[in-house]
Amino acid sequence: MRDRLPRLIAWLLCRRPEILGDLAEERAGGRSRAWLWRQFASTFFPRRPRFPRETRFLTPFANDLCYAVRILLNNPGFAAVAILAVAVGVGVNAGIFMILNGAALKTLPAPASDSLVSIYQEIRGKTTRNSHGSETLVATSEYERYRDQNHVFAALAAYEPFLEVTLGGDQPQQLFGQLTSCNFFDVLAEPPALGRSFVAADCAPGNGAVAVIGDTLWRVRFAADPQIVGKKILLNRQLLTIVGVAPPRFTGSEVVAASVWVPLTMQKLLEPPLDFSHGDWSWLALLGRMKPGISLNQVRADLGVIAARIDLTDPGRATRLDVSIASYLGRPEERRAIKTVGALVFTAVGLVLLIACANVANLLLARATGRRREIAIRISVGATRWRLVRQLLTESLLIAVLGGLAGTMIAISTFQSCAYFILSHLPRGAPQLTFDVSPDWRVLAYSVGLTVITGVVFGLAPALRASRRDVNSSLNSGGGFLRQVLVGLQVAISSILLVAAGLLLHGLWVTQRIDPGFEMNHVATISLNLRGQGYNIEQASAFQRQLRERLESLPGVTGAAQAHVTPLEESHNRSMFLAPGSTQELLIERNQVSPEFFSVLGIPIVRGRNFTEAETRGSVKVAIVTESTGRRLWPGEDPLGKTLRDADERAEREVIGVAKDAQVSSIGHSDTLYVYLPVSPDGQRQMQWMVRYGGTYAPAAAALRRAVHSIDPALLITVAPLEDNLELRRLLSRISSALAGSLGILALLLASTGIYAVVAFTVSRRVREIGIRIALGAERRAVVTMILRQAVKPIAIGAALGIGGCAAVSKILSSMLFGVSEYDPAAFLGVTLLIACVALAACYVPARRAVKVDPMVALRCE
Amino acid sequence: MRDHLGEFEQIVLLAIARLGDGAYGVPIRREIEVRTRRYVTVGALYRTLDRLEEKAFVSSRFGDPIPERGGRAKRYFRVGPLGIKALRRTERELAAMWQGVDLEKVRHAR
Repeated sequence: MRDRLPRLIAWLLCRRPEILGDLAEERAGGRSRAWLWRQFASTFFPRRPRFPRETRFLTPFANDLCYAVRILLNNPGFAAVAILAVAVGVGVNAGIFMILNGAALKTLPAPASDSLVSIYQEIRGKTTRNSHGSETLVATSEYERYRDQNHVFAALAAYEPFLEVTLGGDQPQQLFGQLTSCNFFDVLAEPPALGRSFVAADCAPGNGAVAVIGDTLWRVRFAADPQIVGKKILLNRQLLTIVGVAPPRFTGSEVVAASVWVPLTMQKLLEPPLDFSHGDWSWLALLGRMKPGISLNQVRADLGVIAARIDLTDPGRATRLDVSIASYLGRPEERRAIKTVGALVFTAVGLVLLIACANVANLLLARATGRRREIAIRISVGATRWRLVRQLLTESLLIAVLGGLAGTMIAISTFQSCAYFILSHLPRGAPQLTFDVSPDWRVLAYSVGLTVITGVVFGLAPALRASRRDVNSSLNSGGGFLRQVLVGLQVAISSILLVAAGLLLHGLWVTQRIDPGFEMNHVATISLNLRGQGYNIEQASAFQRQLRERLESLPGVTGAAQAHVTPLEESHNRSMFLAPGSTQELLIERNQVSPEFFSVLGIPIVRGRNFTEAETRGSVKVAIVTESTGRRLWPGEDPLGKTLRDADERAEREVIGVAKDAQVSSIGHSDTLYVYLPVSPDGQRQMQWMVRYGGTYAPAAAALRRAVHSIDPALLITVAPLEDNLELRRLLSRISSALAGSLGILALLLASTGIYAVVAFTVSRRVREIGIRIALGAERRAVVTMILRQAVKPIAIGAALGIGGCAAVSKILSSMLFGVSEYDPAAFLGVTLLIACVALAACYVPARRAVKVDPMVALRCE
Repeated sequence: MRDHLGEFEQIVLLAIARLGDGAYGVPIRREIEVRTRRYVTVGALYRTLDRLEEKAFVSSRFGDPIPERGGRAKRYFRVGPLGIKALRRTERELAAMWQGVDLEKVRHAR
């Protein structure tokens, strides 16, 4: 039998089956749904709520609340508009907060993660250090001192956050992993689901050829083989024994999901020729498990002493420790970036909320005028001002709570799927990220706090106004000035948001159409990692030679070039160069390229000559510099024939050519210090290919893959259009302009309903006056113009203020995102025009309606 | 005075008394609406019924589940001995108060 009651009612009244039964029976007898809801409301909000003796003090508040519910139920239109406005405002805020919370506020998803501490170093002063990934990581020797000398940790683990390995076998696969100290799993309290984790013996010198693999890898690659422990895998052609499988859903301690863990001792074998264990390499992130009863400040003090001791051994060095409860994106530089971006985004969504508040405040002001009689009666029978304000604030808080609830629910349901959508549409080759944006107590606390603040912000001014004791003054002014200020504020804020959106959209357009100074179309890249696949130098040279022949013989291919780094790849090699005669060492970006590089990419050599085939065999030390590099190094002189001293190679290179500037290093900058070196036989294991092809991409890419696999069928490669190197940047532009655009439109919608409501209200209070004017012969058009002229003043002032604010916004945005210009007349003019149109329309509709009223009706109306 | 009857409580008690064996939520509400022409919400009715039962003026029992009520039982009410006593006393008190009151005169006297 179908239950004819709304599910919410059935659920809320589940403990009163007799009432539900009565309601069901009445419903079957033909009562409407609305009737049902009214009856339902009557069971929850009695006219005079009674409390048991112990909680009797709540009675007045319950009275207020019940009265507020009745007021809202009697004005469903007003209630719906107000609640919706708050829902939009609180919703976007809660949604953004949810994403921030998932990305950077939640503690690591590990047991008792509030006692897990992450430690990074920021070193000031004169020291030279190498870094792998980030300068805030610590060196092996430092890790050992922190580990052995501290008194606050039960255990301190270290790991290398960025390990990229190739899993060998029939189908090679690129994996992200972590090199870890042998207590890593113990510190995280994540015992493996199968087998064991690392033991101290694994970290003894010469040992460590073992690995723990992730749950997903185990299921997907090894078909959840229960006998997996003891089997061997090839990682970067090193044979490792699987000793355990990590627990399900464990993906390491970084945002980038890791699927394999190997002891630190394996670093040199997995990442040759680099050896991080000696010298000052910043490469380890630290994770400590605090002893019970230890506070974060005690940890800081204790580690600070050790850091100071380290500083003493290295004169001039000053270490500042960054100690915090471990979370994703916890490195100081990541925190700084999040703070900047977060401040900007929260300003934007905060502004939307402010508009919503102004909107509701305006509605409340208008309604307060309608409720003057009621309030006057309450005052005359002795209500105190506090009593009135309390009643009115209860009403606004009720609106806020309902709106906040709706907004939070909308945010939870939409932003989560938005975040997953974005995460699953990252550009090709991007690692898998593990954000957990599901709501937790922080999100709820944030929403509740925001809701209460919202309710007070939009409720207080109208409540204070409405409850004034001198009835006369409130009769006369009717809150006109406050209303106009609120309208101006809304217009100003929405124009700021819209200009920001306009600037970002323009920036996106620029990014899509960028001319980087080299030819991107019809060039495909082949990325391969021969070193990771275990090739030695001779094998690599032979392979590359063979591949060149195959590629060049492909039909439609007009050129194939090698480079260590493809243009605009997010990877930069820089080293110190010294121009003889100058004492200043310069950090210059370097790239090894084959002679075809310049023709495939269409970068002309403007002076001198290209590399020769002989120079790529490595004995002759030559270099090609870019025009602006030449100007910087040898101002006013001819770079040809000059020499450059390479601090890394400790050798001099002769400049044989000058290439035209191009944005090969980063988009928007063609004057980066950049030097091209010829490919060397040693470097053959790390060379990428760029192939110029004719026709469409898909068949060309397939042909390229076939060419590679005809030499080594098991080789792991990625073929992609060169343009994909811009994808990440475009994605950022797209996300930020989509966000700003939707916020701007929301703001405009809110503001225009606000303007509409205010104009409609003022007009409705002047119906008599308008009637008289028309009866006396005023033209309707003149009356409309009059109304518009009065309404336009606050709008114009608001828009002017807003445009002023926009100048500041555009300065900030242009410094953060490529393609956004500081003064963009199109965006400014377009937004002003848009706002003017929307605001005028919002004024015109009610004005028009007012003058259409028959003067006789208008005169009688009171 | 603990066992004092409010006006709406009287009305509800009388409605139950009138209905006899068939007194549950829907007919009680309908009886009051038809006779007094008052609009009574379900919430108000059950709040009063609960209070009356707390004071032991009425007793209630659940019947069998009924399909047209979504499989839910009716809760039948009966006026208990204390309720009858309270109704009697109220009737007496009111009668005593009405004695000798002539509303026509009251109005003219003003």
